[in-house]
Order: sequence, then C-alpha cells, then structure tokens
Amino acid sequence: MKLSYFLSIAVTTAFVYGCKPKNTNTAVTGDAASKAYVAPGKHDQFYNFVSGGFSGQLSVYGLPSGRLFRVIPVFSVDPEKGWGYSEETIPMLNTSHGFVPWDDLHHTELSQTNGEVDGRWVFGNGNNTPRVARIDLRTFRTNEIIELPNSAGNHSSPFITENTEYVVAGTRFSVPPDQNTDVPIDSYKENFRGYISFISVGKEKGNMDIAFQLECPGVNFDLSHAGKGKSHGWFFFSCYNSEQANTLLEVNASQKDKDFIMAVNWKKAEEYIKAGKGTKQKARYAHNVWNEETHSATSTIKEEVTVLNIKDFPDICYMIPCPKSPHGCDVDPTGEYIVGSGKLAALIPVFSFTKLQDAIAKKTFEGDYQGIPVIKYDAALHGEVKKPGLGPLHTEFDANGNAYTSFFVSSEVVKWNIKELKVLDRVSTFYSVGHLCVPGGDSKKPFGKYMIAYNKITKDRYIPTGPELAQSAQLFDISGDKMQLILDFPTIGEPHYAQAAPTDLIAKNSLKIFKIGENKHPYVAKGEQETKVVREGKKVHVYMTAIRSHLTPDNIEGIKLGDEVYFHITNLEQDWDVPHGFAVKGASNAELLIMPGETSTLKWVPDRIGMFPIYCTDFCSALHQEMQGYVRVSPAGSNVPLKYGIGNKFSGQDATAKK
Amino acid sequence: MKSVSQISWCSKIMLFVASILFITTLFFPIWQIELDAPQYPEGLALKIWANAIGGDVEIINGLNHYIGMKTLHTKDFIEFTLLPYFIGGFALLSIMVIILNKKRVLSFLLIAFILFGILSMVDFYRWNYDYGHNLDPNAAIKVPGMAYQPPLIGYKQLLNFGAYSIPDVGGWMLLGAGVLILGATAFEYQWVQRYIFRKKTNLAKVCALLLLVSCNTNQPEEIKLNYDKCISCKMTISDSRFASAILTEKGKTLKFDDVSCLVRYTKEQKISYKGIFVADYLEPHNKLLNIKNAICIESPKIKSPMRGDIAVFSSNSKNQDYIKAFEAKKLTWIDILNKF
Repeated sequence: MKLSYFLSIAVTTAFVYGCKPKNTNTAVTGDAASKAYVAPGKHDQFYNFVSGGFSGQLSVYGLPSGRLFRVIPVFSVDPEKGWGYSEETIPMLNTSHGFVPWDDLHHTELSQTNGEVDGRWVFGNGNNTPRVARIDLRTFRTNEIIELPNSAGNHSSPFITENTEYVVAGTRFSVPPDQNTDVPIDSYKENFRGYISFISVGKEKGNMDIAFQLECPGVNFDLSHAGKGKSHGWFFFSCYNSEQANTLLEVNASQKDKDFIMAVNWKKAEEYIKAGKGTKQKARYAHNVWNEETHSATSTIKEEVTVLNIKDFPDICYMIPCPKSPHGCDVDPTGEYIVGSGKLAALIPVFSFTKLQDAIAKKTFEGDYQGIPVIKYDAALHGEVKKPGLGPLHTEFDANGNAYTSFFVSSEVVKWNIKELKVLDRVSTFYSVGHLCVPGGDSKKPFGKYMIAYNKITKDRYIPTGPELAQSAQLFDISGDKMQLILDFPTIGEPHYAQAAPTDLIAKNSLKIFKIGENKHPYVAKGEQETKVVREGKKVHVYMTAIRSHLTPDNIEGIKLGDEVYFHITNLEQDWDVPHGFAVKGASNAELLIMPGETSTLKWVPDRIGMFPIYCTDFCSALHQEMQGYVRVSPAGSNVPLKYGIGNKFSGQDATAKK
Repeated sequence: MKSVSQISWCSKIMLFVASILFITTLFFPIWQIELDAPQYPEGLALKIWANAIGGDVEIINGLNHYIGMKTLHTKDFIEFTLLPYFIGGFALLSIMVIILNKKRVLSFLLIAFILFGILSMVDFYRWNYDYGHNLDPNAAIKVPGMAYQPPLIGYKQLLNFGAYSIPDVGGWMLLGAGVLILGATAFEYQWVQRYIFRKKTNLAKVCALLLLVSCNTNQPEEIKLNYDKCISCKMTISDSRFASAILTEKGKTLKFDDVSCLVRYTKEQKISYKGIFVADYLEPHNKLLNIKNAICIESPKIKSPMRGDIAVFSSNSKNQDYIKAFEAKKLTWIDILNKF
C-alpha cells in the first residue's frame, strides 16, 4: 500500500509538470535554406539600406542573402575611407558647433516619385546634432548634409512626401527656441517647444533647403509618415510626453492614457509661407554640399529660418488621441488608414483619413491641446485591432492590404488585415523586435516579398563575442499566407529603420568610375606630366598621381619642420574597381581611399625631422608592394632645396608658388 | 515485547530518513517560480530557500518596476528567519518520535506537519496576492484590470511572461519527508487493513474510493439490471422490483437483489450508512425509494429472489389493493431488521 502512496505522488508530479505549456519554438522549415541562398556569382534581389543607429553610418545589405556589401559613412568619421579625415570630406561634418565626428543615423528613407520608390537617393537623419543627410545612389556617397536650428533629438525624421517634395524632421527633445535658450529646466511647459522642419528637396539634383519650420507645443515627436494618394498634403506625427514632463520621463511621460497623433496639413502651411505669413528668425545652422566634379565639399553657415507658429494658424494641425505613448505612425499604401502603435498599449488603433476630414469639417472636437483642436477618438477611428500582442512599435505594409506590426515586449511580428482588423498570422522574433522593413513598405506600391525584423536583444542567437553582441535581424518570406523565417543575420550598429528596393532599380545607375576628363578639383593632376610640388610659404602642395603601380612623384625632399603638407592624390585609373590608397608614416590622420578619376587630399604636419615612407594602402595590382615612396623632412631653417620626381626624373625644381 | 502503543522498526527507519530529508531541505531551494519569455532564452527563475530569496531575483526586480510591483528582498519577509527553525524542529521531532517510541507522538508529528504545510501555502498565497495586486499607481505599464499575482502552483500567463510555480529540490524533499511520516503513521495505525477492507487492495480500488469520496452525493448509484451482483449473496440482480441499495457514509452504493440480503449484510458488516433505498414494486424503473418514505409489506405470495418476500411501495401509490391481493401485512423497518 505504500507503493500506492508513492505512485499517486508520482502521478501528481507528472500532472503538475505536464500542465506547463510547451514553448512554441519557431522551427525553420526545409526550404528556408534555398530561399535565402544566393549562389556564388549570382546577385541578390533587393538592396537593403539599413540605418546604423549609434554607428552613425548607413549599411547596405543584400536580400535574401543578408550579406553586407557596404557601410556608407554619413555622420561618423570613417578612417578607412578617409571620411572626415580628407580635406574634401571634413566640411561635410561641419555644424554650427564646429566639426562633429559622430552622430546617430537613426532612420533611412528612399526617395519616391508618385509614391513609388525611384532609387535616386536615400535620406538619413542625425539624431544627436540634428541633421538630415542625402546619399546619392549612383555613387553610394553622402552628397549633402543640412543642419536643423531650434531642434534637438531629430528622431521623427527623415520621412518624405510622396513626390519627395519635402523631407521632414521632428524633434524628440523639446527645447527652448534658439533665440531664448537660457531658461530654468522646469519652465518646460512655458518655454520648451517642439519643432518640425520641412526641408524642400530639389526635383533634379535633390538639393535640400529648410523651406519652413512649424513651432509646436513641447511634446516629443517620435515617428511620422506622410499621407499618400488621397491623404497627400498631410503628414502624421506620433507624439508622446503630452504630459510635458522634463524629468523621470519613464514614469512621468507614461501617466496619460492617451497621447496624440498630430495631423499636419502641410499644403496649407505651404500656402501661408507663400503668402508671406511666416516669421523670419535668426538662426545658425550648417549646410554642407558635395560637388562631384570638384570631388570636394563646401560648408556654409546659414543665418535665417522661416517659422510658422501653429498657435497662430489653428487650421494647420489637429491632434488625434492615440493610446499610451505612441511610437509608430504608419500610413497604408492607399493613404486611407493611419496606424498608431502605442508602446504600452495592448491594441492597435487604426484611423481613417476620410473620417478625419469629416471630423475636421464637422468640428467634432473634444477640446484642444494647447490651442490645437483635439479630434474625438471615435470620430477619427476606423477600428482597433484587439489583443494583437504586447508593446506594438512599427507597422509596414504589403501590396495585398495587409499590415505587419512589430511587438517589442512579446517579441513577435503580427500580420493583420487592415480593413477587417483581423489578426492573420504571428511569428516569434529573436529577440524583442524593434523595427520592421518591407521593401517599399511605406510607399504606394510596396514590393512585398520579404519582411525583415530588426531586433534589440541578441543573447544566444549567434556565437558569442564577449559582452558586446551584434544586433540580430531575421528575414521572413511573406509571399505566402503565412510568414516564414528563412534567415537570421547580424547587423552593424543598431538598426532603427530600413528601406529596401529591387536591385535593378539601383544597379543600372551605379557608377563604375569617375571620368578624369570631368575632374575639376583645384589640385587635380590629369596626368603624370601635371604632377608637381609647390611651396606657398609654410604650406606645401604636392600634386600627386596614382596608377598601377607607382606614385608620382615618389621621392620628395625639401620639406621643413613646421610645414603643412597637402598631398593631393589623383587616381588616374579609368578602369572598374581599381582604387588606390594612400598613407604617410606617423601621420596624425587616416588613410585616403581614392576611386578611379577622383582626387583626394591628405593634410600632414610632420612632427619631426626624418625620412617618411608613403605608400598605396589598397591592394591594387601584382606590384602593389612596390607602390611606395619617401619624403625627407629637414630642420626648420634648413636650406635643403625642394626636389621631387620619380625614376631618373628627380629634378630639383626649386619652386615658390606664383600665386 | 512490543506494546500496541510502540512503533515498529520499519516506521523508525522511515522517520530517520525523514529527519535527514528535513535537514537536507535547508541546503536546497524549496520552491521556484520559473519565468518564461521569448527574449529570455536562458530562462529566469525566482528561487525560494528556507532562509532567503534567490535565483534571478535582481533581474526580476528590475523587470517588475515597469509594472509597479514592489521589489523582493529577503529582509522583508520574517518567514525566512523562522522557516529554518521550523524545518530543523521537524527534523528534531522526527528523531524524538523514534526515541520516545510512542504512536501518539507520531500522530502528533503528522498533524503538525500537515498544519505546517497548509499554513505555508496560505502564507505563500497571501504574499503572492499582496505583491500581485498592490501596484505602484505611477507605474509605466498599466494594463487596466490586470493583476500580477503569480500562481500558487502551476502555470499562469502574466503579460509576456509565463509564470510557472512549482516545488524545487528542497520542496520535494519536504514532501518526501511528509510522505514518509504519513506512511509510518498509516502503517502503525493499520489504516489500510481497516479502511480498505480485507479484499486485496489494488490501486484502482483506492482511487475509485477517493474519487467516490470526492463525489459526495446523497443518492445511490443506479443499479444495472442483469449486470450488478448482490454484494451479499453474489447473485446477479435480475428482478428490478426487489433491487435495493445501501448508500454508505463515504458515498459508496452497495447493491442487493433482495431486502433480506441487505438486512443480513448490515448486521454482519456493521457499516454506517447514509441511507437505505429500495425499488418501488409498482414502478421498478423509477429511482429507488428512500426506505424512510416507503411502505413495506410482507407475504409468502410475494416471491422475492431470496425469499425475503418483502415488497416496498411508494407512500403515494395505490398499494391498498396489493396488500389485499397478496394477503400481506405491513411491516416497519424495525420489524424487517428483526426478521432477518
């Protein structure tokens, strides 16, 4: 009978252990490998432009292989490419604060024409020192950076209107306007303002200019997306901290049950600006432009910006209540539905543009928020997706009327039908997905096919690399009814958003070389016969060329301690994929990486007397190791003559510049 | 010579092992609450030792601040000062039982342990309730109507975490010690022999008994004609007009094919019963009648299966005719009891 006692205990134990729900591990099915594999020699189907977050750069991956092809330097210096080190690129990182070597490239946005991705430019926003950058997709280089006055925490950026008329920048940190900044911190409610900048983008060349800024109440603007189609002319911004807290926001900004989505009628604002209603305010912000012909950047400081205070123009902005500190604010491809994702909410509200317009016309308001009319929640609501998951963040769309929302807290992506508000499928992500990308997912014509989840927690996903781990991304095949996990790949930096476009759209315009004939650099040497070394007082300009496999001149004498030496290297190659590098021993600087037909300058201030080797750092040819030279630095007052040359053409051309 | 009040050596061994288990409990966590979430592939667990809270309590405290739950600290619970003494006390008491060699002390130990177990679970429940419900109103994550009370035992989903509350190694040891003490007591008091009858006990019957105990009805089971056997004479019950049953205190139905068998059985077995039920002679397909509300008649013309010759009628029926027809005389239940 004792056996029966023990047996019953055993049964109970089994029952207790048995009632624990099993973990539904996402098993990767058999054909995932074939879907993610791109055979050697074959090309990926999509370019994936991924923000580097705190790396400050923009990375380019291929889909579906998940291979990293390029890290485009944008806001952070890159010694490998000489970005922020060469004389030509230093002005790109100039700001009203001076040269800033790092920023956080938070989001990426591809340019669109008629609401379709056109593959011309990709924009990136600088979160810390507010700036917007434009990267040219012919050269995959940063061509323009514009700084934003009156702003801090440029998070709600760089989102574009459907024809790339404007790229916007909204502030995440409200600050007092530049004209009156020394105020007590707890005067937040009185003095701090949120600013939304509308940067106009030139149709042909993409040149940026701050058309106007909207001065708004001091809320935090999180994300935004433009209306499209029927809602073109409007822009939607998610706002949190409507409590207007300036300290312990973790608690104080999470108190209210609902914050807002701010709907901005930018077409109206545009009209007011045209009618001269904007106020011109003093400001200081840098505008840096790259010239492809001179291969150099120029930085100008602008001193004025036009501002519209929306308090004075109450028909520009409207507030739509949105639950619980909204993060994502996404507009579906038809332009009718606006999806708000409240970070702490357990449902997804979907607003209707038609109903919104109706409510505005009928003035169905429930009071105002600091002078901005607040629309009644139900008047603008299309419906709510119930119990989708925990902690919705971002929504992207496919071409079939479906939405994909990322859930950070419950670590999953949920697919749901927009019109019917019904959950169709859910997949786990590893772990805690933050941001999503569907190729063309925020345009009028999504390409669909893939969905990438960018996660915030990696843990055991890959082989460990000490305490610091790469961020993980998962690639899903969304071509069928159910989402299928096909690849797991690590990313550089920390992606916060990404864009993707079909390979063909961009590859066909990709430049192979720079034409040396079009090179208008002031210190270009278009052939070895144009090379020289010229002294201008304490400055020495070396006009150098690089071609397989020698630098011309490769022997230089007559440099004196106290000189500033500028090596202007022109890569004379006109062949595909023959870059040359350049470095000087002991230089307090980086290397240069010069593309065919390009001219790049390294500034060197010798720190001592001696013999300094120079050489090509990029393996360019069979005799790359032989691509070297020497520079002799003599004492300050010495009378060593300036001599330079190569081979038996080592001439003593004692030159003083005839300037 | 071993007296009736003394304990057998078998039980003494069990008690000794129990006391060792009590001591070893102090070196292992007694209870654990596992927390499962997708972003914690390595798993999270709160471990409750006799003298402290351990496991990933720091990480869990960090997570709990989002929902406004109080942080957990060993010093906030007096239980962790007292528990080691209680458990040590049980170890000591188990040894005392062996030394004193008295069954009464053993039963005292068992009762004390059961009380301790119940008290612990009640206390644990109270703390779970308190921490799960008294949340900071300024918490960042506020889900309306949501409380985060962990389950007492078993599984419960709390937001994105699956909380799984089960005993840990120390807890199983305590349970093991308890089972040993229970086993020793059962052995000493011969519970099995006395309460599970002389028949060969098998697990099925024990379970059935337990099940029936838990069922607890006031109506006897239905008698399956031509299937059930009379528990007294072992004949298959085939005449529904004379079927009868006893509902025992424990809720078991004992079936008979004749009232005489029933009466004989009650005299032989001395069982305490909740009620006696007999078939209605006129409506045998109905439920069995409670003998308290029935009329019994006796006549040799009533040919019952075991020649008890008693027929029972509902007090509502037209039984007068039958009395005449059978030339029967009415009997009270006492009469019937004296008859057989």
